[in-house]
Amino acid sequence: MGKSEILGIMHNAIQKPRNTYLDQWVAEGRKVVGYYCTYIPEEIFTAAGFLPYRLRGAGSDSSSEGDAYMSARVCTFVRHTISLALRGELDFLDGVVLAQNCDHIRRAADLFRKKVKPAFYGFLSIPRVPKERLFDWYLAELRRLKAEMEAHYSIAITEQNLEDAIELHNATRQRVNKLYELRKREAPPITGQEALTITVAAHVMPRAEFNSLMDDLLADLERAGGNGDYRARVIVTGGVMDEPEYLAAIEQQGALSVAEMVCFGQRSFGGPVESGPGDPLERIARQRFFQVPCARMVECFDEQFSELMKRMKEYKADGIIFQRMKFCDPWAGDAHNLYWRMKEAGIPFLSLDREYRVTAAGQVKTRVQAFLEQMGK
Amino acid sequence: MSILGKERKTDWEVVYEGVNGLMDLYSEDPDSRGMNAILKGFRSFVDGLFGAIDEGRPIVWHNCGCTPELIKGLEGVQSMPIEVLTVLQDLVGDVQYTMALIDAAEAHGLASEVCSIDKAAVGSILGGLYPEPACMLYHNTPCDSQIAAIKTAAALTGKPMRMMDVPYLYGDREVEYLARQMAEGIPFLEEHTGRRFSWDRFRQVCEESNRTAEYLRDWNDLRRHKPCPQVSKIVALCTALLVAFSGDPEGTAIARAFRDEARERIERGESAVEGGEMYRAVWYQDPVWWDLQFYDWMEAELKLVIPMDLFGYYAPEALIDTSTPETMLQGLARKSLRTLPMSRQFKGPIDNFIDDYLKMCAEYQADFGIFAGHVACKHGLGGIGLFREASREAGVPLLYFEFDMFDPRVTSAETIQAHIANFIEDVVKPRREMS
Ligand code: SF4
Ligand code: SF4
Repeated sequence: MGKSEILGIMHNAIQKPRNTYLDQWVAEGRKVVGYYCTYIPEEIFTAAGFLPYRLRGAGSDSSSEGDAYMSARVCTFVRHTISLALRGELDFLDGVVLAQNCDHIRRAADLFRKKVKPAFYGFLSIPRVPKERLFDWYLAELRRLKAEMEAHYSIAITEQNLEDAIELHNATRQRVNKLYELRKREAPPITGQEALTITVAAHVMPRAEFNSLMDDLLADLERAGGNGDYRARVIVTGGVMDEPEYLAAIEQQGALSVAEMVCFGQRSFGGPVESGPGDPLERIARQRFFQVPCARMVECFDEQFSELMKRMKEYKADGIIFQRMKFCDPWAGDAHNLYWRMKEAGIPFLSLDREYRVTAAGQVKTRVQAFLEQMGK
Repeated sequence: MSILGKERKTDWEVVYEGVNGLMDLYSEDPDSRGMNAILKGFRSFVDGLFGAIDEGRPIVWHNCGCTPELIKGLEGVQSMPIEVLTVLQDLVGDVQYTMALIDAAEAHGLASEVCSIDKAAVGSILGGLYPEPACMLYHNTPCDSQIAAIKTAAALTGKPMRMMDVPYLYGDREVEYLARQMAEGIPFLEEHTGRRFSWDRFRQVCEESNRTAEYLRDWNDLRRHKPCPQVSKIVALCTALLVAFSGDPEGTAIARAFRDEARERIERGESAVEGGEMYRAVWYQDPVWWDLQFYDWMEAELKLVIPMDLFGYYAPEALIDTSTPETMLQGLARKSLRTLPMSRQFKGPIDNFIDDYLKMCAEYQADFGIFAGHVACKHGLGGIGLFREASREAGVPLLYFEFDMFDPRVTSAETIQAHIANFIEDVVKPRREMS
C-alpha cells in the first residue's frame, strides 16, 4: 500500500468513535478500555489483552448531553467526549481508566462513574510534579490499577505480558519517531495534517495493525519527494489536538507544521521504554512519568521550554504556534509563560484559543497570515 | 496613610485605611465582636508583613490551598498567601484596585478564564506590590487556576518553588503521602530562608492551630441555632482566617470571638435578622467577596440568613496530634486533605462536594441552597448537573447562578439580588405555603 491509501485508512479510522479495526476487535470478543491521557500507560491495557482506546470527541455533532451536566465554562473537548459517552456511542468500552488530569476531566470522570457506569472504572491519582521524589507514588498507583484490573477481569497480567506490550508499543514509538525524522527534511514528505492523522489513529486502533501500516507508509515516504512549497516551518504545541483539519487550516496559509508537540502528537509517544532487566511495570512508569511534561505538571517549565527549543533547532522551525482549548486553565498558565520566554528568546510565537470541533478557518487564516507577515515570510 | 510609620504602595495603604476605618466603625458595636476580631487580625497581618520587610526577614509565599503552619515552624519567617492583597482589597479596601490588577494580568497575557483572584495575584506581582519571597511553597489545591497562577508566579519571580502534590482521595495512604512531602519540604524551606526549622516551635504552632479549630467547631455548632444568632457575612471569612492565621494566636483570637459572639447572642435570644428570620439558605461554592453589604441586604430585605457556607464549614475531623514529629505532619496533612474548606470539597471526586452540601442543608435546617457559581471554579461548574440531581433527590430547592467572586463587572449585585428575590418568591414561598 502506498501513502495515499494508508492515509485514507487512517483518516477513516479517526472520523467517528468507532472504526473498522475496532469493530473487528470487538467482533472477536476482545475488550477495549478507554483513557484520556498519556500519563496512563497503554502498555497495561495491551498486556491485559485489551485495546487501549484514547477518548476523544470525534464524530460528536453536539455537546448537548454534556451541557446538561456541565457549565459552558468547561472545555468543549471534555463536553463532547462525555456527550458521546452519555449518548451510548462509546458503549463498546469494557472499562475506562481516568485520572485527575485537569479539573474538567476530573468532573468528566465523575460523570463516567455515576452516569455512564462502565463495567470497569479505574482511577489514577497522578502526581503533578514529575520529580523522582513522587515517582514511587505513581508506580504504586499503576500497581494498584493492575491489581484492580486483574481482580475485575479475572486475569493475570504477567511480567511477560508487560514485556510483550513494551515491545509492541516501542515498535510504535520507533515508527512514529522515524516519521518525525523525515519531517526534519528541507522538503518533508508529509504535512502536519497528515502526520497528526497518523498519530491520532495510533491511539484508536490495534497497535499491531498500526505498526504494519506504518512500515508500508515509511517505506513509501523514504522514497517520496517532499513538499518544499511553504512559507514557514512551524511547531504546533499546546494541549489536546486531535483534529487534523485544524492543522490544515494553518497549513493552507503556508505555515507547514513540522512537529506537533501536543496531546495526540509527538508528546504522547516519547522515546522507548527501556529494555530489561528489572520490573517491566517500573520501566513503563519511568518512561511515562518522565516524558516531556505537559501543562498539568509543575516545577518543570524549564524542561518544557528547552524541549521546545531543541525541536526548534532539530526541525529547523521558524516559529511556534500554540493552541489552547478555551477555558483550559493548565494551558492558560503555560500560554503566558511561553509567550514571554519565546519573546525573550526572540522566537516568533502565535497563541490561538480554540473550541473543539470548530475549525474557525476564517479566524485561523487571519491570525496565521498576520503571523507569517510578522516573521517576514 | 502610612503603615508602621512609612509610606507604602497605594494599594496597601488603601487596604490599611479601609481596615482602620471599619475598625473605628465597628469597635463601639458590642454585637460586632467577630468582625472586630477579624479586622484586627487583618491589620496585624499587614503590620507583620511590613515588619518583616522592614527588618529584612525572609518571606515565604504560599497559596490558599496551603495553610502556613509548616512555614511558621521556622523562626522569624513571615508567610504570605499570594491572594492576600485581593482578599483584603475586596473585603476592606476598594475593589477598583482589584479590577486594575485583574486587567494588568490579562494585559500581560494571562487568559481571561483564569480565576480573578489568581489574575489579581499575578497583577500584584507584576505591579511590584509583593515583597520578594525567599522561596514559595504551594499545594496543588483547590484548583487548576491556582496552578496556572503558581506557575506564572514562579516564572515572573524566578524564585525557588516547591509544590506539594495533594492527591485525589482522602484516606490514610494519601495522608502519609502528603506528610512525607511536608517532611521533605522542611530542608527546602531551611535552605532558602536560611532559618532553622524547630520541632518545638512547630509543636506550638500546631497546638495553636488546634485551639483555633476547636473554637471553629463550637462556632459551627452554634450557628445551627434557629434563629441564626449571628450575621451571614461572617461565615465567608473563616477561610481567610485559616489561610492567613492557622497556627497563629491571632487566628485563635478571631475564632474565639466568632464563637463567643454567637454564644452570647443565643443566650440573649438575638437573631441575625432584625424582626426575625424567615428563610435560611446554605450558600455554596463562593461568597460575594466584593460586597459584604450584600449579605446585610439579604437579611434586611428578604429576611434571609445564611447560617453556613462552604467557606465557613469546618468539617469535624481529628485535630493535629502533637506527640511526635510524624504525628504532627500527619495531622497537618489530614487537615489539608480533609478539613480545609475548598481543598476538602473542590479537589477529588465530586462526592465530598455534594455530601457536605446536603449535610449542611440538613444540619443548618436550610429552606434552600444557593449555588453561587464563581465563573472560574470549573470544578464546581463542571459538577453542576450531578449537584442539581442530588439536590432534587434530597428535596432541597437549589438556586444556581454564575458570577465572579472578586470582580463585580461579571454579574452585578443587582442581578444577583434579583435572582435570589425571585427564587424566594417563585419557589421557596409557594413551597412553604404548600407544606
Ligand atoms: S484542553 Fe485543558 S481543560 Fe480541556 S481536557 Fe485538556 S487540559 Fe483539560
Ligand atoms: S475561587 Fe475557584 S477558581 Fe478561584 S482559586 Fe479558588 S477554587 Fe480556584
